Amino acid sequence: MSQIITQFPIVFEALNVGFLQTLKLFIITLVGAIPLGLVICLGSMSKIKPLKAITKVFVWIIRGTPLMIQLLIVYYFPGLALNNPVWGGGEEGRFLAASVSFIINYACYFSEIYRGGIQSIPVGQDEAGMVLGMTKSQTFFKVKLLQMVKKIVPPMSNEVITLVKDTSLSRIIALQEIIWAGQAFLKGSQGISGAIWPLFFTGIYYLIFSGILTVLFAKLEKKLDFFR
Amino acid sequence: MSILEINHIEKSFGQAHILRDISFEMEQGQTVAIIGSSGSGKTTLLRCINFLETPDSGTIRVNGDVILDAAVDKNLTDKEKRDRRLHFGMVFQSFNLFPQYTALENVTLARKLMAREREDYKANKKAINQEIDAIGEELLRQIGLYERKDYYPHQLSGGQQQRVAIARALALEPDILCFDEPTSALDPELTGEVLKVIRSLADKNMTMIIVTHEMAFARDVADKVIFMDEGVIVEMGDSNEVINNPKQERTKQFLSRYTNEGM
Amino acid sequence: MKKLVSCALVAVMALSMVACGSSKNVASDSEYVKNNGKLVVGITDFAPMDYKDDAGNWIGFDADMAAAFADSLGVEVEFVEIDWDNKVLELDGKTIDCVWNGMTLTDEVKSAMDCSNAYCNNAQVVVVKSEVADQYQTVESVKDLTFAVEAGSAGEAEVTALGINCTPVKQQSDAVMEVAAGTSDAAAIDALMAAAMVGEGTGYADLTYTVSLNSEEYGVGFRKGSDLVSALNDFLKASYEDGTMMATAEKYGVQASIIEQ
Repeated sequence: MSQIITQFPIVFEALNVGFLQTLKLFIITLVGAIPLGLVICLGSMSKIKPLKAITKVFVWIIRGTPLMIQLLIVYYFPGLALNNPVWGGGEEGRFLAASVSFIINYACYFSEIYRGGIQSIPVGQDEAGMVLGMTKSQTFFKVKLLQMVKKIVPPMSNEVITLVKDTSLSRIIALQEIIWAGQAFLKGSQGISGAIWPLFFTGIYYLIFSGILTVLFAKLEKKLDFFR
Repeated sequence: MSILEINHIEKSFGQAHILRDISFEMEQGQTVAIIGSSGSGKTTLLRCINFLETPDSGTIRVNGDVILDAAVDKNLTDKEKRDRRLHFGMVFQSFNLFPQYTALENVTLARKLMAREREDYKANKKAINQEIDAIGEELLRQIGLYERKDYYPHQLSGGQQQRVAIARALALEPDILCFDEPTSALDPELTGEVLKVIRSLADKNMTMIIVTHEMAFARDVADKVIFMDEGVIVEMGDSNEVINNPKQERTKQFLSRYTNEGM
Repeated sequence: MKKLVSCALVAVMALSMVACGSSKNVASDSEYVKNNGKLVVGITDFAPMDYKDDAGNWIGFDADMAAAFADSLGVEVEFVEIDWDNKVLELDGKTIDCVWNGMTLTDEVKSAMDCSNAYCNNAQVVVVKSEVADQYQTVESVKDLTFAVEAGSAGEAEVTALGINCTPVKQQSDAVMEVAAGTSDAAAIDALMAAAMVGEGTGYADLTYTVSLNSEEYGVGFRKGSDLVSALNDFLKASYEDGTMMATAEKYGVQASIIEQ
């Protein structure tokens, strides 16, 4: 116990650095995947048959393969197959490659959630907009969008909390997120070796972070509770 | 001149021939009731008139102008449909109010959006919106729901929602207001308040087409009744005549189902 | 987990073979490194070979030697922490230029990369709980124990060769954790690492290491066909002869293990 107390400041700092990386990846993934998901969603609902087919196959591939393999392919494929290691070996390159993989993966999941949300809105809303002389885009933005947002908040909150934990997959391409930082003390880092507790301690970070998100999503749901 | 003239409308969905050679006309200030069993094509006819469906052939004229000729207007753009359908207002069986807007906002939304296209909108934004709000409030007063103007649809009863939907349709000042079974989704005790509102519109000589199952109401309020069966107009004429003394066998059969309901 | 990674590896490799073929006739590896202006060294946090000082700079016997080698090539050195499982992927994907991290020269390693001459001795040792350590001082006596080993490590190879069943885990430190947690009786890990990780004054005070299963040697791995191998061999020879290698070794307490070049 006394050992933990002396180790704590060093471990805490290292875990914070790792968590910052986790948080960065989390935020960038959301910023990229939320709009990209809408583009993919529109593609998968497009009236242009080839576009629709290509989008559907793409979504199938991304959702049908593990994110871990996607990370490996995105990061290593350019150097292995094209002899052009675009990402470089440094931390920044690894972070960029991880961001790209996560954005694409989550955009595909989001697109399906959006599609469910859009399709769950009764056709009567469209017709009411039409007979009132509203344009398609007015009907979408002024009438359907908020209804859709309300419908997708619960599944999105699920997906976003999964994302918090999925970020740990990025250490397969040696992105030094929080679990990596915790594991470092097992084999030895900064004079501390064989310390098991930092790895388990990372769980507290995840727990607090997902707790905050749960509260935020509950607030959002409540905010949208004024209509049904 | 007739305000509305429908000529030789035909409509099929795949193999199903829903409308066959439908023609009728109506005068300014008239109320026309369309009756018939479900599947007779009356709702489809109303949807064709409102550009929610495109007929396979036939023409629609308003005040003598052809607004739809199925032979040439096969692929109307959304903008063209939008301009032409504004002659009509539509009240749906299931109300289709916008759930995230209050009663007043439901009534004013479309008109406010349309006002944005006005050239003087930017300069007089506030005044224009205030004016539209005043119009909306007046409409709500007419249907007796001014006190509920800030209620959301889910806070209103079905009958109240349908009355708001009527006000919403009236806000765009259509030439002809169409009702698609306006009371069919309501509990029986709530139909009265909606019918009362429609009746008051008839008294003000609003031009209306009402698809309905309320025979007594059709007889008392409508000037003209059209009975449809299997996609054709079987009988059409003065409402008292058609409902009290039908000439056609099919009309008699249809109406006999309603005689026990205290018409 | 492990299987998944290998599946991915196979998939990536297969793709790379299809796509590669044509693009082999590029500049030599040393030219490639010089053009980049840096030698990217793949490492893990592994005292006393590669670890961070208080300022966050990479030091250690391997790190210092790698920096000196880069210097001799006239390029900067860049250390990158990698996932040890993916070291071959990292090399072939050109995200690193060499693996220089107390890497045991096993047959697997030698077949997947081109390696330098050995520069340091090591052994795989058995880690057990201190309270039972005196029962397990011979190779014979450990044969009935359950082992945890790092997947793909020299320790796994030794234990398997003895006909002992073992559980592969992700890294050596996980193997030690298995022993501490009692989920395995013993772990087979590098002697240098065991010296740093277990025993008095470490996080695993109630563990110790006993018998050596083998003796083995450390080397540096490069991409197949790299001309940097001979450049490094020349550099090792020169630095052994002028005494700088021993001086560096003494700094990190590994002088007893250094191999004459």
